[in-house]
Amino acid sequence: MQGQGGLEETQMNQTTRRYCAWVLAACAAGLAAVLIPSVGDSAGGGNADAPQATRGPTRVADSVCEAQRLKALKADDPRIAIEIPKEFDKPWPSLSACESHDAAWDEEADGPMQPIPFSHAHHTGEFEIDCQYCHSATDRSRAAGMPSVEVCMGCHQMFPKEYDELEGIRLLKQYWAEKEPIVWQQIHRLPEHVKFRHNRHIQAGVDCQQCHGPVEEIDKMHMVPDTKWWFYGLPTKKLEMGWCIECHRDNNQQATQDCFACHY
Amino acid sequence: MPDLDRRDFLKLVGLGAGTATAAGCSDPIENLVPYVVQPEEITPGISTVYASTCRECEAACGLHVTTREGRPIKLEGNPEHPINRGKLCARGQVGIGRTYQPDRYEGPSADGQGTTWDAAQARLLAAVQAAPDRTWVLGASRGPTIDGIIDTVVSAGGLGGRVVYQPFDGSALRAATEAVFGVAATPQFDLSGADLVLDFDSGFLDTGLSPVENARQFAAARDIARHADGGARLVTIGPRLTMTGSNAENWIPSAAGSEGALALALARAVAAKRGAVDAALDAAIARAPALGAAATAADVDLASLEQLVDAIAHANSVVALPPNAAAAGTNAVAANAAVLLLNAVAGSVGSGVKIPSGPDPRPAAPYAEVQALVDAMNAGQVSVLIVHDANPKYSLPMASDFSAALAKVGTVVSLASSVDETSVEASLVLPDHTPLESWGDAEPRAGVRSVVQPTIRPLHDTRAIGDVFLALGRGLGVSVPAGTTRDVVEANWGGAASFRAALVRGGDFSASSAGPASVAIGAARAIGAASRWSGSGDYTLIAYPHSYLGDGSGAALPWLQEIPDPVTKLSWRSWAEISKTTAERLGVKFGDVIRIDTGDGAIEAPVYPRGGIRDDAVAVAIGQGHTVGHYASMAGEGSPGIARGANVAALLPASTDESGGRAWLATRASLTKTGAFRRVALSQWVDNQRGRGLAKQVSLLALAGGHEDHHDGPHVIEQPFNRANDAAPDDPYRWGMTIDNDRCTGCSACIAACYVENNVPIVGETNAIRHREMNWIRIERYIGDGDTEGGEARRPHPDREVLGGEVDVRFAAMLCQHCGSAPCESVCPVIATYHTPDGLNGMIYNRCVGTRYCANNCVYKVRRFNYFDYGYDNWPGLLSLMLNPDVTVRGQGVMEKCSFCVQRIQLARQPAKDEGRDIADGEVVTACQQSCPTDAITFGNTRDPEAAVNTRVDERRSYYSLHMLNTRPGITYLAQVKRDSEESHS
Repeated sequence: MQGQGGLEETQMNQTTRRYCAWVLAACAAGLAAVLIPSVGDSAGGGNADAPQATRGPTRVADSVCEAQRLKALKADDPRIAIEIPKEFDKPWPSLSACESHDAAWDEEADGPMQPIPFSHAHHTGEFEIDCQYCHSATDRSRAAGMPSVEVCMGCHQMFPKEYDELEGIRLLKQYWAEKEPIVWQQIHRLPEHVKFRHNRHIQAGVDCQQCHGPVEEIDKMHMVPDTKWWFYGLPTKKLEMGWCIECHRDNNQQATQDCFACHY
Repeated sequence: MPDLDRRDFLKLVGLGAGTATAAGCSDPIENLVPYVVQPEEITPGISTVYASTCRECEAACGLHVTTREGRPIKLEGNPEHPINRGKLCARGQVGIGRTYQPDRYEGPSADGQGTTWDAAQARLLAAVQAAPDRTWVLGASRGPTIDGIIDTVVSAGGLGGRVVYQPFDGSALRAATEAVFGVAATPQFDLSGADLVLDFDSGFLDTGLSPVENARQFAAARDIARHADGGARLVTIGPRLTMTGSNAENWIPSAAGSEGALALALARAVAAKRGAVDAALDAAIARAPALGAAATAADVDLASLEQLVDAIAHANSVVALPPNAAAAGTNAVAANAAVLLLNAVAGSVGSGVKIPSGPDPRPAAPYAEVQALVDAMNAGQVSVLIVHDANPKYSLPMASDFSAALAKVGTVVSLASSVDETSVEASLVLPDHTPLESWGDAEPRAGVRSVVQPTIRPLHDTRAIGDVFLALGRGLGVSVPAGTTRDVVEANWGGAASFRAALVRGGDFSASSAGPASVAIGAARAIGAASRWSGSGDYTLIAYPHSYLGDGSGAALPWLQEIPDPVTKLSWRSWAEISKTTAERLGVKFGDVIRIDTGDGAIEAPVYPRGGIRDDAVAVAIGQGHTVGHYASMAGEGSPGIARGANVAALLPASTDESGGRAWLATRASLTKTGAFRRVALSQWVDNQRGRGLAKQVSLLALAGGHEDHHDGPHVIEQPFNRANDAAPDDPYRWGMTIDNDRCTGCSACIAACYVENNVPIVGETNAIRHREMNWIRIERYIGDGDTEGGEARRPHPDREVLGGEVDVRFAAMLCQHCGSAPCESVCPVIATYHTPDGLNGMIYNRCVGTRYCANNCVYKVRRFNYFDYGYDNWPGLLSLMLNPDVTVRGQGVMEKCSFCVQRIQLARQPAKDEGRDIADGEVVTACQQSCPTDAITFGNTRDPEAAVNTRVDERRSYYSLHMLNTRPGITYLAQVKRDSEESHS
């Protein structure tokens, strides 16, 4: 009975702070839009270490993950010389596990750093685990619910010991051993004066992605900016009221637009 | 450059200003803390409900504890529980705050220093082992199992003894029952079949033996839909008009302490009129005073007594309720016995008055036994005193010398869960869990067994009292049951399977509780002794139990401090009620401070002059005057150690009645004007409704004939419009409410329920004085129709009460009327308040900019403004943990008001939408409706002709409040019925 599940609790005056943060961000974006006529997509930078087809010196793996990477390079370009010490020559963790693990803890990437490098892309994209396997209250409750450590361990304790190579797995097992909850940082957050119900939207057939973005492609979870442009070329973030109303309006008048439906 | 319109220009300007001020702003990061192992029965966002038992008073009502993610957030009555049947009073509703309140001990301490449980238990054991026979246990009864554990340890461990201490010991009533019926038990009073109820200052609707149960029965007995003659009449007999008395048809303002003589004289007169009563009874009342003598002794009008005798003789079923524990004096046993004899003469024993077949299993010790322990302490014969569930330093009279005696005890051990006057004196504090964290049980009467189960993991480093005693017993080498308190409770409930079944229901209610149908009248002892009085003043000091504070334990809960007293509408402080004549004599006005001196002590309190009290009496509510506690004392307002109000219990003498029970009504006092003035928090300044028909009344005659009333007053009320029209034409709903003022007793349970359900903040005394209280629902109290004569009648202080005679007190719950044509909506510049398609008057906090135009334009004055930030950070202690996550916590500068519990409407909408149907009648129950012990409030869809909210509308007495202003309210009131006393036996 320990979790306090603070899903919805924030205070109205914190909303003001959120709002000014948004204003700051929106203003910066707006200024950029005004000053630099063509805003490029300069946010890249994720494609470093592109494989180079040179014969360089023999590459020695110093971890299982590195070994997996070298093996992949070798498979791509057989001319590369690699050396994999025996202790690192193991089938697990797989390359995708290693990569999503690192991507989920990429400090440069969008979104806050989480206590565990959990990758949605790996779990729900690659392995196609249903969202509601972990967020199991989504179809019943207003809160989607966060999986307990027990749910994580339900699968992960079946995994071979080699997976302990990954720090995230070691951390997870430590949380489980110490019976400590994992304190995640919330990303999709509504102010407390909004009473959103997940179950209502699931019943109405709204896809998770419609609000949360292409979660199955995201390693490090973050809010995906909307593609809609609003108000003098400033982009709007998801989960703002205009954005909710837009959908409720479009929906053939099926959804309510009454203020009291969400604000009470 | 695009064309800028005014709106976009303003947005851009705002953007610039925002940029300038936004430096340092960042998105606050909030954490998500999931479970390690999620309990199966818990789904985040969905409430889980557990059955338990209320421990705020001895009635032991059943509870349904609503929890959210492991935190209790709301208490409601258990519908299966035979005592309260799903209802709960104000005290029970806010009992939830005990767990979260700031006064709680966070762990064990020794000599003021924090310590570990091992060390604390070891020290307790060592102290007890040093002198087991000089160790005493002092505290209230805690239900069969825990009492059993304590008793086992006390007796088998060779301890000095245990004194079951409750300030209101009830010993007089038990002794009286023994004298009259031969069983030392507390009788049960059943009003459901009564047609005449005599209230001898019993307070049965607020402070009596089982207020929720009796209120329900009383409402049933007066249900105008079932009793065309108006049902039960209530006659109240006592020196001041109480909340219970306010519901009466007639008030006989007898002198304090004369109830016994009156009851006996009435019994004799009725017996004479009826003739042929059984011989034992005749003998018992043979020495009763004549009616005339009793009238003189009680200083009442003989004619009113003769009328009453007539009424009793003609009534089919009379129930007379004996004085409550604080309303009888040194002749309390005689007074209680007299009232029981009156019941016997009236033939209601077995029906209206049920005498249990066996004695009370764990009665509180009479005060004399407590005093004997105090004397032993004073004589140095007690080396260890273990105090639990009691605050004797506060509640014992100063004359008992408990404070001095406590200093002579070597080791004082307190098991209090939160700080009180006694525990601060203790050298060893072993804090107990609160009831919501504990295992236990209760047996309020034979055949009703109720479980107490924890609904939250202990918030602090506390230990159950049962476990403390079990450990002590094991240390002493006593054979105690194995395991923890929980195991012992389970064993007492017949093992795991039956315990589990009991936990689901909340207890075992299968056995019938009816006592023997007829009981022999025992040898009555000397009856009719006059009350003995100490003190020398001219006024009788009436220390009466406050409607919410109980014996003072309620003072720690801020809601009970802030909800206005039902009668005076005062809050947060002590006041002295004196009659207007007395006030004139003393030369004081409302708020002037007087000094009340009994010879045993003196207190000062601001006066509240009223018509509803005898000239020879001064009344002060018990419960205030604590010197420690965040809310109980002034500590929360920055003055630790300063008492809030005055403790009237302290200045009472250490008098006892014939049974050794504590006599609360035993002293006279002298009053002197101090010259000081104190502003007090008075929430309703006028009791004159100036003929506006806020709380209407309809006579039985008008009801029966459906024609114009036979005298001046309200007539049959027209339906000026159909409230069901005021919503979107195609919407299936127009939510509305029907409030039956005839059932409202003024108990204020609805207010407490609303506070807890809707996160309504507590503003404190200073702001309550400034009328900044935030309650969404209030109970207005008016006397009669009022008059519209001249301006001088607009005195800013209620003054329309009169002494004795016909009582015309009208209670009317006032909350947002959800008007179809709401004055607030049209003046809001930002459309923060508007009419929803389903007919609610919506209040959107995040749109509100705080102009307060709406509150100014509201004709009902039900809108509340957040002058200060009462958000999460501003709840002391852990109180913010009990906030309802379904309701927004409002920020500073925002208007708020009753939402008709829209969160509950939205919750009920979910299954209805899933199943593709409309919300059915009864699926939405507002918090106030849920709590109301008399079912005065009905909520529902007015567009559904079959809905109770429509079917309960009695066309003959329905009206809208201030409908002449064309607000088209969504709340229909049903006028109070005037039950003429001369028709009482028609």
